[in-house]
Amino acid sequence: MNPIFWIKTASLFLTRSKRATLTLGLMISFAVGTLVFITAIAIGINDSMIRNSTGLYSGHITGFNLPETIAQETLLVDGVSNVLQRFQIPGSLHYRGKNEMITLIAVTPDQEVKKTALWKKIINGRYISDNASEILINYDTAKILDIHPGETAVFRSDSSVYSFAVAGIFKTGVDRVDNGIAFCPVSTLSNLPASWDGAVFLDSGADLRAVMAAYTRKGLKSPYLKTWEELMPDLTQLIELNRISMGFVLILVLGVVSFGTACAFAIFIISNIREYGIMKAMGVTPKENAVLIFSEVILMNLVASFAGTLAGFLAVFITSKTGIDLSTFTSHNQYFVVSGLIIPRLTIVSLFLPSVLALSFCLFAAVWPTWIVLRQRTAEILRNI
Amino acid sequence: MIEAFNISKSFSSGSGVRQVLSDISFKLEKGKLLTIIGKSGSGKTTILNCLGGLDIPDSGRINCFGTDINSLSEKKRCLFQRKNLGFIFQSGNLLSYLTVSENIVFPLVLNNETKKFREKRLESLLEILELKLFASAMPHELSGGQAQRAAFARAIAHSPQLLLADEPTASLDTQTGLDLIKLMHRVGRENRTTIVVSTHDREIIQCADKIIHLTDGKITGE
Repeated sequence: MNPIFWIKTASLFLTRSKRATLTLGLMISFAVGTLVFITAIAIGINDSMIRNSTGLYSGHITGFNLPETIAQETLLVDGVSNVLQRFQIPGSLHYRGKNEMITLIAVTPDQEVKKTALWKKIINGRYISDNASEILINYDTAKILDIHPGETAVFRSDSSVYSFAVAGIFKTGVDRVDNGIAFCPVSTLSNLPASWDGAVFLDSGADLRAVMAAYTRKGLKSPYLKTWEELMPDLTQLIELNRISMGFVLILVLGVVSFGTACAFAIFIISNIREYGIMKAMGVTPKENAVLIFSEVILMNLVASFAGTLAGFLAVFITSKTGIDLSTFTSHNQYFVVSGLIIPRLTIVSLFLPSVLALSFCLFAAVWPTWIVLRQRTAEILRNI
Repeated sequence: MIEAFNISKSFSSGSGVRQVLSDISFKLEKGKLLTIIGKSGSGKTTILNCLGGLDIPDSGRINCFGTDINSLSEKKRCLFQRKNLGFIFQSGNLLSYLTVSENIVFPLVLNNETKKFREKRLESLLEILELKLFASAMPHELSGGQAQRAAFARAIAHSPQLLLADEPTASLDTQTGLDLIKLMHRVGRENRTTIVVSTHDREIIQCADKIIHLTDGKITGE
């Protein structure tokens, strides 16, 4: 058997049966292109949820009760872009005879504004300034104390008393951030706790697990550092669910397309059955006939999948320039607390998986028409010519 | 030598089992032309199909140049067919997605002939069959006579020992049919090709070395 001859013959069959090839090819291209684009959107949605959830305040990795022997710089390993240092001081906030228990978090305002998006969730006033005795309080606390920006409150902890002017009031919609937290500049506190908290932000595309592995090698990981996946299991599950749903969509869409392709292939091959009959009469073996049919399927898939992948890639490239704004549908969703903008993103797997699946499904789909050709007696085929 | 011993063949259909061939036996020397004549449905095509291994008789034995083709495995039968047999059908002979040249060269590629030999053989056949101008034409661009000449060229391209032709002139006008018969006869004689033709055509019958009359699947005259 000369495989090159059969591949060449398959390509001639395809190129010279223009309409059938074009119809089938378009069907495969459209399915592959659509799936590449949908997959990129699904990845973009996951990215957006992670970006929103980690970028609001906590970072990709959160450090708890880090001893002062661990310097901020120690956490700057490969893949880490920033480490924000924060100090937690439990106490109560007092204003005109009312008080509310809060956790005051001392931060470096300039760095916080650069790396987190909490300032975007200020509903009244502004973010705190460096070196100013100011406090940023949550909406619920402000409501209980009936305090407004510009007014001064007193914060009492076990060991210290501070007076802060309210710079602003925030509301994120995320319970763990909105409940009993207030922020002040670290420079205004004279008495800082011995331990600190850290928010670690990774470079774009950096591998979370690689960074954690680097911390483990430094003996830092447990019990101080937790990833967003550990801190937000609900988000982790949601992302996994999204991936699984995407897998189902991929399989279902390609399943439907492959069924359609199988039928179309069957019609295509059966309508050309005289060709296969003549070839059988000329002594073409069943194996050679099968090679010819499968070569047709593979060649058509390669070309159509390439076109579909290219179309999907272009669609992703164009939409990723501006993003897809889904704010209308995400405004009450805590995982889109900062922005509902989805930036479709491709990965190697999402770019090529639809093509690989399409080829696998189509090869599977070609078994049926191949079987029809091979099992039918040459004489029966020729009788119908 | 082609030998058929007690060939019987029946087909099942909705209306029951139909006996198409009953106890057919004959012999044909190498290089001779046998014509099978009979009415439509008398079993002419079935005999040709059984001789060529395209169909398997229910009983009986066919010996083609020393090979019992029905005892061969499917793969061996295919290899036997591609080397030793050439077919011409009533119409629709050519592979419609290949040009005339590609059709003629097809059996030569199957038989692993060299490119040089294929080119030489193609040129010679296109010359003999007056198809040079149509070498690059697609089958649908040919007239009935041209298409049958191209089919004949393909059938003899690999110099088979046995040429089976099922009413090759049926779809042609008288003159074109006559030309094809003369050509077939001449080329058959030159190459000592054994030819079996099913036909109603008097011209072919006149050229025949042996004639079999078939009526309802039985030989009624030789």
